[in-house]
Amino acid sequence: MRRIWSPLLLVALLAVSASTTAAQSGRELRFYLPAEPKTFHPLVVADDSSETIRYLTGGVLIRFNRQTQELQPELAASWKVSEAGRKISFKLREGILFSDGMPFSAEDVAFTMRALMDPNLHSPTGDSFRSAEGQVKVNVTDPHSVVILFPAPVAGLERLFDQVAILSSRSPKKEMAVLGPFYVADYKAGSYVLLRQNPNYWKRDSTGQRLPYLDSIRLDIQQNRDMELLHFRRGEIHLINSLDAESFDRLAGEMPSAAHDAGPSLDSEQMWFNQVSSAPLPTYKKAWFRSQNFRRAISEAINREDICRVVFARHARPAVGPVSPANRFWFNQALHVHPFDPQKALRRLGQEGFHLDGKVLRDREGHSVEFSLITNAGNKSRERMATMIQQDLAQIGIRLNVVTLDFPSLIERISRTFDYETCLLGLVNVDLDPSAQMSVWLSSASSHQWNPNQKSPETPWEAELDLLMRAQASTTDNKKRKEYFDKVQQIVWDQVPFIYLIHKNALSAVSPSLANATPGVLRPQTYWNVEKIYFAPEKSGGRR
Amino acid sequence: MSFSESLLSLRLSIDYRSKPGVLRNLALQMRRGEILGLVGQSGSGKSTLALAILRLLGLRGGVSRGEIRFQGRDLMSLSEREMCELRGRQIGLVLQSPLSSLNPALRIGTQLAEAWRAHANGNREDCTRSILAALKSVSLPEGERFLRRSPSQVSVGQAQRVLIAMATLHRPPLLIADEPTSALDTITQAEVLRLFASLNRELGMAILYISHDLLSVASLCHRIAILHEGQIVECGETQQIFAQPTHPYTCQLIEALPRNPFESPDRGNTPGQQAMETAGVPAHVPTGKSQP
Amino acid sequence: MKTLRLLAWGFLLSIFVATLLAEFVAPAPYAEQFRESPNALPSWQHPLGTDELGRDALSRLLYGSRVSLLLAPAAALLATLIAALVGGVAGYLGGWWERVAMGATDLSLSLPWLFLLLTVRAMLPLNEPPMTSVVITFALLGLLGWSPSARVVCAGTRTLRNSEFVLQARACGCRGWRLLLRQVLPNLKPVLYAQFWVSIPIFILSEANLGILGLGVAEPLPSWGNLLRGLENYSAVLNNPWRVAPLGLLIIVVSCFQLILPLEDFRS
Repeated sequence: MRRIWSPLLLVALLAVSASTTAAQSGRELRFYLPAEPKTFHPLVVADDSSETIRYLTGGVLIRFNRQTQELQPELAASWKVSEAGRKISFKLREGILFSDGMPFSAEDVAFTMRALMDPNLHSPTGDSFRSAEGQVKVNVTDPHSVVILFPAPVAGLERLFDQVAILSSRSPKKEMAVLGPFYVADYKAGSYVLLRQNPNYWKRDSTGQRLPYLDSIRLDIQQNRDMELLHFRRGEIHLINSLDAESFDRLAGEMPSAAHDAGPSLDSEQMWFNQVSSAPLPTYKKAWFRSQNFRRAISEAINREDICRVVFARHARPAVGPVSPANRFWFNQALHVHPFDPQKALRRLGQEGFHLDGKVLRDREGHSVEFSLITNAGNKSRERMATMIQQDLAQIGIRLNVVTLDFPSLIERISRTFDYETCLLGLVNVDLDPSAQMSVWLSSASSHQWNPNQKSPETPWEAELDLLMRAQASTTDNKKRKEYFDKVQQIVWDQVPFIYLIHKNALSAVSPSLANATPGVLRPQTYWNVEKIYFAPEKSGGRR
Repeated sequence: MSFSESLLSLRLSIDYRSKPGVLRNLALQMRRGEILGLVGQSGSGKSTLALAILRLLGLRGGVSRGEIRFQGRDLMSLSEREMCELRGRQIGLVLQSPLSSLNPALRIGTQLAEAWRAHANGNREDCTRSILAALKSVSLPEGERFLRRSPSQVSVGQAQRVLIAMATLHRPPLLIADEPTSALDTITQAEVLRLFASLNRELGMAILYISHDLLSVASLCHRIAILHEGQIVECGETQQIFAQPTHPYTCQLIEALPRNPFESPDRGNTPGQQAMETAGVPAHVPTGKSQP
Repeated sequence: MKTLRLLAWGFLLSIFVATLLAEFVAPAPYAEQFRESPNALPSWQHPLGTDELGRDALSRLLYGSRVSLLLAPAAALLATLIAALVGGVAGYLGGWWERVAMGATDLSLSLPWLFLLLTVRAMLPLNEPPMTSVVITFALLGLLGWSPSARVVCAGTRTLRNSEFVLQARACGCRGWRLLLRQVLPNLKPVLYAQFWVSIPIFILSEANLGILGLGVAEPLPSWGNLLRGLENYSAVLNNPWRVAPLGLLIIVVSCFQLILPLEDFRS
């Protein structure tokens, strides 16, 4: 029987490969990791590449749906938060197996939580659960129920479980036994990671077919973004998670169906003035930077629309504040972008005693207004933004000196010596919840960039920010939290400690041969629903 | 031979790091105003001796021991500074290959001027005057145009004359000429030999004439010293050496001289006479006392 | 050959004049952003088009040439002089001196200059006008770029030191500095010329690379270095081939310099 079939099969295969020009290995998805994954242990993930592996292989109790921005049950069939956010009880799905065949039970959840909260593990994921000193108690009430009790309320508790990939307590393969749609089958350091379909994955599609559809995922390590784009255009890889505006436009010109602009992302670009009282700056400059009107005026003198148009080829949106409109729940709808109006900016500066002397703006004491803007070298769009701001400020008589520094020197200046005047940097937001921004807004925090590590709030509005941030963190009532955080955004909008400039759009590329891929703004933009992605059957007379 | 007549007397041993015992306790005497020919095989250490006298051997990695008495002073005990004063002023040196001994980057005039300034202070005119006089004494065209030439623009013979002019610019009592004619054709060779003879005659300059060519030595020199295996094996009046060579090596050298094919074989007995005729130099065989 | 030389002279002269008269020749101030027309193609208003911020490319090229044509040769001169001094003295004196000098050269070749430069940049005050930072950059390049040349010069001097004509000069009583300067140095001219001309494009490109580290010429001042960086964006170059104009100009200027040099004089 076999002998008869095999030549026929061969002929069939040849026919297929001849008819489909994109002769990809049928069901292997390929894309690039920007760097070597530092770990395969899901609890100690701190870098992007490891995060990718964790997302593709890890099974979690609750998944934060990247499209709807809502929580959905995963390994937990249901859950309940009680005691004002101190306690969470899970009811687990039954009959689930790890990739190596071990059954999944409440013991595994307990094991994972204990490992996660072990101080010796130094788990970044675990840190977000540590709201206060004290032990986390895990009670297994039956093989499929588990209760976790925290020493203090944890804001946005259930959302944090999106990051916790459950480990097997008994598997000899330890953390390599997984509950996600894929498992790590092969890895060659510096070269690639090969993931294969987890044969025991629990999810099924509406017709009852086992997920995921894909056989395997090959993740080659490729640092060069230009190569990534080139290989994508050649059909050698199927996804690019994030593209810059130039590459995006180039791709959109050639393969319009592959380029996806999902609108403004969570990431923002902002500049801020050094308001550190001990900074080695002249007193009159410190006075400028501490003036609300001065900061507002600068914000109003910057043409954000031009930046979006010229630097980002329209693939960016002027920013209102710390929260991107992409963050549907937390964004304060009442706020609008500071309007670009140099005349209004000059009037505002006039209120503070600044005046135009010919083409030079001078302060009350006659000092010409000149300051430097530092940014990290090598980031082209940031350098261009700085140059545009330079020209915008020249319109109101301010001389801006743009200095690009290597990253370590920049960090040294903004966090240790405070020997800088203004700084332009981007902020990468991975978390939608305001609690993730605690360290930015609390005046005592180290990431409170404009004036970090204050013993007590130096200004009334910073004191108010402290109160509001603590208040939102101490309740689990999302409506109230939203009220508090809206107020935070309002204060930041008024006081302008950061001049928020733009949100870059989430630009990604997805091969047209993939079905079910719907890129979004949240990470991982292109493969957040990886278990449902498949290669569409080649249509006759298709693309090319 | 009185003491005052002795210009140079030396007793030297020289070693190279790679080749020890190049010269072994070599002894040599030179009188004022005499032309002494130093003859030896290639590689026998003749050039080494020339450099050793000027104490320039260190540059070539050689070490010399012994005594060099020049005009009553022991050169070995002089400081480098005193030696610099002495080089070119008291002892001149002409090297073997004229073209590579001229600095390719400098014009003829500049090189001569540098040599002049090494031992004289004066303005441009003084310098030019001395240089032109030196050129005249070596029968070179004295025009300014010649001085503006670069070494690549002069013939080998002219180059050799320039070198001689350079070495004799300050009228040194002793001129050391290291194989000065070996790179020249026969006619130019004869001219240069005549030039040495006239320098000796007119300026009373003593010349240590180093060569492997016994014929040219015989035609020019009052005395001949034969260098063999690091030592002087024979030293005497030219005629005496040719008439009655005592050392077997000297005999060998004389034996090896080319014979005039048109002469009868017995003429080989007086090779000195033959050599002088061949070189076209009038037989001028002064004794040591014939010079002022 | 002669007409070619004349052409080269003429070209260099006109470039030089054009850069000096940039204020009058340039169609627009070099920093002015025509934000309505970024990445524009050549037109009457912008003969070479505009860059990604809408700045006139020709104006930037003119002002950039002024900076680079003045400062890169100055830095090359500085580096060559240091190389001549270190390499020349080491090769001339030989022995222990040579060992020390060449050891220092090797050390400076193997030092991670990049980090040193980064440190220097980190120490500089932030509110320097762009022009000061340019001058500092090129001065640093000149002060640090001598070591490869010094090796070459030292090797050359060593050969010369052992040459017949230097021996002859010594035998004539020439000595010391005068011997080095008057007899040895003229023979090093071809080597030094070569090192000088080779250094110029290297320094121009180094400045461009330093720009990536934030060490180069600060915005908005143009230089050949940061204009060349514009070539990184190859899709923009494909759209407007005139973007390669700075590179073309660099090549032509260096070639012209080679042409007008009396090379045959020191080849002999």
